[in-house]
Amino acid sequence: MLKFAVWLTILSLLFCSKLQAADAEAQLLVQKAFDYWRGLSSFAEFSMTIKRPDFERTMVLQGWTEGRSDALFFVLQPPKDMGNGTLKKGREMWSYNPKINRAIKLPPSMMSQSWMGSDFSNDDLAKSDSILEHYDHTIISRRTQDDHQVYTVESIAKEAAPVGWGKQILEIRDDYILLSEKFYDEDMVLVKEMTAENLVDFSDRIFPKTWTMRRVDEEGKFTRLEYMILEFNIEIEDRLFTLTTLKSRKRIR
Amino acid sequence: MIDLAMAWRNLWRNPRRSILTILAIGFATALLVFMLSFQFGAYDDMIDSSVRQSTGHVQIVAPGYHQRPEMRKVIDDPDSLVKAAALLSSLEEVSKRSEAFVLASGEKRSRGLMISGVEPLREAKLSSVPRQIIAGRYLNDSDEAAGVIGALAAQHLQLGIGDECVLLGSGRDGSIAAAVVRIVGIYKSGIDEVDRSTMQLPLQEFDSIFTMEGAVHRLIYTFEQLSDSTPMATLLRQDKRTAGLQVMTWEELTPGLKQSIELDLVSGIIMYFILVVVVAFSILNTFFMAIFERKKEFGVLMSIGMKPRRLVGLMLLESLSMTAVGIVFGILCGIIITMLTARYGISMGDSAEFMAQYGMPERLYPKLTSLSVTLGPLLIFGVTLFTALIPVLRIPNLRPVEALRS
Repeated sequence: MLKFAVWLTILSLLFCSKLQAADAEAQLLVQKAFDYWRGLSSFAEFSMTIKRPDFERTMVLQGWTEGRSDALFFVLQPPKDMGNGTLKKGREMWSYNPKINRAIKLPPSMMSQSWMGSDFSNDDLAKSDSILEHYDHTIISRRTQDDHQVYTVESIAKEAAPVGWGKQILEIRDDYILLSEKFYDEDMVLVKEMTAENLVDFSDRIFPKTWTMRRVDEEGKFTRLEYMILEFNIEIEDRLFTLTTLKSRKRIR
Repeated sequence: MIDLAMAWRNLWRNPRRSILTILAIGFATALLVFMLSFQFGAYDDMIDSSVRQSTGHVQIVAPGYHQRPEMRKVIDDPDSLVKAAALLSSLEEVSKRSEAFVLASGEKRSRGLMISGVEPLREAKLSSVPRQIIAGRYLNDSDEAAGVIGALAAQHLQLGIGDECVLLGSGRDGSIAAAVVRIVGIYKSGIDEVDRSTMQLPLQEFDSIFTMEGAVHRLIYTFEQLSDSTPMATLLRQDKRTAGLQVMTWEELTPGLKQSIELDLVSGIIMYFILVVVVAFSILNTFFMAIFERKKEFGVLMSIGMKPRRLVGLMLLESLSMTAVGIVFGILCGIIITMLTARYGISMGDSAEFMAQYGMPERLYPKLTSLSVTLGPLLIFGVTLFTALIPVLRIPNLRPVEALRS
């Protein structure tokens, strides 16, 4: 009897440590993928096409990111929207409009609303790194694709985490390229899916050129980002991620 | 015939007993007539005013807009429809309205708001907002860059009269829409959801901020009477100009309203049922007593050769005539009470103010209809006859000799 209990303890200990090892591996994988995605800093010029069954609209934007949480975006095209900007600093976001020359801080209640009319939400921008902090990761499957290992990671929101998604499923290649991200609500129902395609060699790294965010509830409804310029680990002025830059008209490169 | 005469004479042999029974039946009948008239009338009034304040009797929208509002689902040419509406016989008002979800921001704070672009002059007839202004004034047609805002939203955004509010959203073409409007009025509807998250702008202003180019999201119609909704909606559907648009009646716009009223009617029916049961028991009691008291009389009749069946018939005729008198009396009383109250209305007392906030009338007016006059009395008639049967059918079991001795 005693022997049995000892064995059971040892077995369960083994099992637990195995599980924890897997978790740590998944955590590291996700973290690396995000660091790869964002670099220490980056500059990008990209087009954003919002597609609806009866409607299509394309914008051109420029954006800078630094670290895991700061970002700044400006609209270049169409002329009507030129100069509109978004600043993300830490968890907070501001939206700037040149017509009225004001920057508005987004309240928590607006975070799940769409960003500039697209299928990306403000949350997608503001909390893009929250997946590292507020989710538990497990690798649920591995497969080989084009000579690469692709890991599927299930990330479940920690209890009481201040996040909008109950679960996310990531596909990450062994060179840390994020291939897809699926978003599930609190009831674990799939809401939207982001896929990365078109791997291209941008100056210092291979990176997907095309990103598509697709809502699952309606056919023919998606937003596609396409990078025209993408540079990583660039020099960034200290004052870039401030409200002053957001409001100034000189920042467009 | 002779039986009927006998029954009638029998009734008045004990006038007190008969009158009491007749009064019981009459009272219940009058009550039912009045209550049903009141309920029907009140429902009509309540639906009508609540519909007028919320959705209007009929709306035209782009297909699917009502279920899932999107900026691009618009009525492209509302003006031709507005012009055509003048031909509808019972039209009271038709108004254009547009809606958008925006981020609104005061000096320090911001929050999401539902903005409606309205035609200020027509809005007075369509919604209660113009009457619920607690500070400043309502919009007028010459206002530019002005808005009225719900009280709780104003409080949250720390906005007062004359303050500027920044709006940020997206236009009909998907472009970024932004504007600064001055708050000219604050309204309090009493419904927190409305006060917390809505704002109204003049339609012109809305049009230019959100690049609507003359298109609107809703056309709202009100007619003289609630019952005009369905025929007028049918007329509108036949109009070529509404091709590719959706014509919706108030029942389709707020299905919950009709359901809640149906629920209320069910609870009313339960109450009426209880009332009828009480009446039935009192009548049952009267009949038992009557038959017990008249046992000797029955014994005499039977021993001189009256057939039990005829006796039963006689008793049923008695109850029938008593019920008939009671019901006629009750209907008359019910109609008189109903007509009197229909003339002056019934004040809702302390709750009137509360009801007014929801756009409900302060006084409720019963409405006599052929249904409300006949439904209750018929029910009572049936129940009374049925109840009378129970004691009466025991008469044939009487043994004349025993009955005589009692």
